[in-house]
Parts: sequence; C-alpha cells; structure tokens
Amino acid sequence: MSAITKNGVAIDDTFAEAFGMSGLGLVITADSPKWANICATVMTGFGTSVIGAGAECGIDRELSPDETPDGRPGVRVLMFGFSPDALVPQLRNRVGQCVLTSPGSACYNGLDSPTTLALAAGPRFFGDGWQTAKKLGNRRFWRVPVMDGEFVIEDTCGVTTDGVGGGNLLILGRDRAGLLEATEAAVAAIAKVDDVITPFPGGIVRSGSKVGSKYKGAIASTNDAFCPTLKGAVKTECSPDTVAVLEIVIDGLTSKAVADAMRAGLTSLIDNGAKLGVTRVSAGNYGGKLGQHHYHLKDLLP
Amino acid sequence: MSTLSFNLRAAPTQLLDLSALIPSKLASLSLGDIARLPLGEGAEAMLAGDVFDIAGTPGDTVVISGGSPLLDYVGAGLDGGTVLVGGPVGAYAGRGMRDGKLEIGGDAGAFLASMAKGGFIHVKGSAGDYLGGARPGDKFGQLGGTVLIDGNVGERAGERMRRGVVVAKGKFGAAAGSRMVGGTLWTETGFGPLPGPLLRRGTLIGPSVDELLPTFADCGRIDPVILRILSRYIAETLGPLAPKALPASVRKLAGDRATIGKGEILLTA
Repeated sequence: MSAITKNGVAIDDTFAEAFGMSGLGLVITADSPKWANICATVMTGFGTSVIGAGAECGIDRELSPDETPDGRPGVRVLMFGFSPDALVPQLRNRVGQCVLTSPGSACYNGLDSPTTLALAAGPRFFGDGWQTAKKLGNRRFWRVPVMDGEFVIEDTCGVTTDGVGGGNLLILGRDRAGLLEATEAAVAAIAKVDDVITPFPGGIVRSGSKVGSKYKGAIASTNDAFCPTLKGAVKTECSPDTVAVLEIVIDGLTSKAVADAMRAGLTSLIDNGAKLGVTRVSAGNYGGKLGQHHYHLKDLLP
Repeated sequence: MSTLSFNLRAAPTQLLDLSALIPSKLASLSLGDIARLPLGEGAEAMLAGDVFDIAGTPGDTVVISGGSPLLDYVGAGLDGGTVLVGGPVGAYAGRGMRDGKLEIGGDAGAFLASMAKGGFIHVKGSAGDYLGGARPGDKFGQLGGTVLIDGNVGERAGERMRRGVVVAKGKFGAAAGSRMVGGTLWTETGFGPLPGPLLRRGTLIGPSVDELLPTFADCGRIDPVILRILSRYIAETLGPLAPKALPASVRKLAGDRATIGKGEILLTA
C-alpha cells in the first residue's frame, strides 16, 4: 500500500468503509453542567457497538443555557442503531433508567427530522396517572411528578436514516504512551465537530475487529493484521517499528459530518503525531463491498 | 408584501360577519369581486363594498381601518398572513384561526379565539367574556396558538379550552379557566373570583386570586422546569411584547378536585 508522508506521519492510500445507520439526538438538561454531564454519561454508557451493546451512543457536545428549551445547562447526546425500530427499546431503557432517574434532569428532542420516535411513550407512565402534558407551539412536553419535583420529557424525538456509522482512523505508533496521547488529542479535535460521536471508551478502541472467527457463533474477532504482537506470525498490516495501534470510530448524523470529523482527527494527528511516536495513519475497510460510505484518507488531508 | 385596505365608510348599524376578509380568501379575487362579497347571510346581508372603501392589492396583509363592536368574526379562519384592525371588534374574532397574525387595535368582544388552532392574536385593548371559550355546540374552546391581551379579560376565559396560551397584562374576570381541559392562562395582574370551576387539566398563572374555590388543594411552593420552558417559549413567540419571565418558584394549588383535579393555579407572588 503506497503512502504519502505529512509532517513525519505516513498516511496510507486507503479508505474507511462505513455503513448507513439510523440516528437520533436528545438534549438532556439539569440544574448544573455537572449533573447534565453525569446524566448524559450514564445514559450513553455501554453504547460502544451495535453488535454487542444494542446502540452506539455518545455525547455530541455541551450546550449553553441559551441553547436549551428550559434555559438550563445541557448536553446533546446522539444514539445510533441499525434502524429506527432497533432504537426504540434502547431509547426507552436508557431514558427510563438513566435520565428519568437523574436528579433535576429533563429530556428533549435534539434532532429536527420529519420522522420521529415516541420519546415519552414509556417514561411518562411512570407518573401513574399524575402525568400531564403541555403543548407549546408544535412541541408537547410531558410533566411526570418525581421526588425532586417534575421530570419533563418531550413527547417525540426526531430520527434520521441518513446517519453513518463506522467512519474510522487506525493510528500506528512506535510508543504506546505517546500514541495514546496523540489519539486522545485527535478525539478532542473530533469532539469539536457537530453531529458526530466517538462511541468507544474515551473515543478510542484498542480491539479493532475483523469479520468472522475460527470459532462458531463469534461474528467478529481480533484484527490480527493490526496486532503488533503477531506481526511476525501473520500477514501483517503493521510496520516493523509498530508497537501499538489504536482506532477512532466515528458515527455521525450525516456523511459530511463523518468526513469532517475524520478530517479533524487526521489534521490533529499530522500536527501532533510524529513527536509522540505516531508513524502511520490507516483506515479500516472490508474491501469496499459491505459499506455504502467510503472515506479515502487522501481526500481528507489538510 | 402587498396590502389590501378596508376603510369603514360609516359606523355600522348591524352585525357584520367579516370572516371573508382574510388574505387567503381574497388572494385570487379582483377588487370588484371583493366589493361584492356578502358580510353575513340572508337577503339583508350587506356587501363589503357597501361598508368599506376598498383599496390596494390582495396579498398577505388585510388592513381594516377603524373598528366597531358590530364587526364579528374578524380574522376567523385565518390560515396565514396578517389581519390588522385599527379599532375594536365584536364577537368571535380569530375563531378557528390556524396560522398567521391578527392584531386588534381596540377591545375584542366575546369568544375571542374560540376553536383557534394556531397563530397569534394581539388585542391592544381588553377582551370580552369566554376568551378562548367553547360556544354552545363546540366540543372545545381554544385548541392552540397564542393570544396576548394588553388590557383585561372578561369572565369565564378558557371555557373548555384545550391547548394554547393566553397572556394578559391585565386581570382575568370571574371563573377564568372554567371547565378547562388544557392550555395556559397567564396574567400579570391577577385572577378575579373563583377561577377554575371544574378545571380538569391546564394551568392558570398569576400573582393573585380574588377568591379561591374550596375544591383547590394547596401543594405549597414548587419550582417546576415547565415554568422555564413556558417563559422561554413565550419570550420567543412574543419577542418584545413578552411578559417578564416567570419566577423559579411558585405556589401550586391543584384542582378542581370536584372533577379529575389535574389542573393547577400557580401563584407567582
């Protein structure tokens, strides 16, 4: 695979292969940024991969009081799944268990879309008949009495089928600590892009996978080509000096948002990578036949 | 933006139905056609050209200069654009309105905004009885939209109102929110005696109540998030005309417990 070098970092001539997904956005508010973040973090927890977690979830960005329906600090979270129907139980369980329960929280639609899901369909019945709705303009808000006052939840939330899941960057380094630091900086750069999340822990995944396994029942297994400890034993994608590889996986509400996020991450890695031991940036794909969206690294260079 | 003006030739002497004079009904008509529109039903109905001098071009704005309590159904069925009235109007202004803006320079009569589903009504004077109310035969009163009254409001405002918001700078008369099913009545001055008889759901907000029904239960002081949402919504909808934001904390009176009792009177003072 040919590569071009930018600022001491080799960029592979390859592409990230991503898939169409359904996505929704929620605005979670609370009395303080601290509690909005606690609620959003718990609500999006265990939301790394649709394969095992049911949905891919993360925090898009923090919202100032001016940006929320109730004038309190908030957080916008995004959730991605295979289809709107697949998101329904995830939405019900995550909002019911993690947002309804969080002190002072309120939960609103965070995505304008002609297609909607019933956001309050489950949680409002927690009110046991005492719940009431207030419709203001085109938006209906449910008020559910709870022990610290009222839990407010919007009736519906928008859902899009134009989302993209699986935009990615594979970052190879010759120093594990430096690689992690450079990848963290890339995740921070991606976080500034709207409408995207990086659903893995801290935005980073260290266990990139390939499709299939030698074992029955496992649909994915370790991406041995990028495992540095196997580089002498398998057909490797690692360079001779590769000590570790980290991956950033990106889900976005639009293909453009994913491309913008990959560009931001790539720019950060080119700017900061070499001095921290980043040697190469590559991307994961399946030969281009499975995913509808291809993001060529050479098109995303700064 | 083109404007069609209707100037009263003389003070009307009989009730007139002005529901025909909204932008969408006039858009495709010539001035001659408009002058021949009947303002009411029956052989005695006067024509628009008998009552008004008509000038301008049909477009998204209708201006009615002057006014009279005999002008009924002003802006009724309005579904977009603007109707501006210089003076007072009669009953049923904005009835069944769905969108657009109705501005009334004087007082409005009874049943303002009855069955209105959307849009914005601004009355610079006071409003009569049954504001947002259901008239006999209607299942519900106001069903949506926003009404702003600079002056006072008559009795039984919000009679069987279901949705929407009414904001009054002045005071509501007796029995505001009677049999109300939903929606919001908000006064900056206060409510007259006995608000909320048979109030099912819905919210009455104001600094004071002249006399309270015994079927309202005191729930003490609360600080619900919905007050912030309502304040923000009204600030965005009314802009500089919006009342001061609601306080974080109010006293809640739940009722009417003579019925399902899921309504509330929220005292801001």
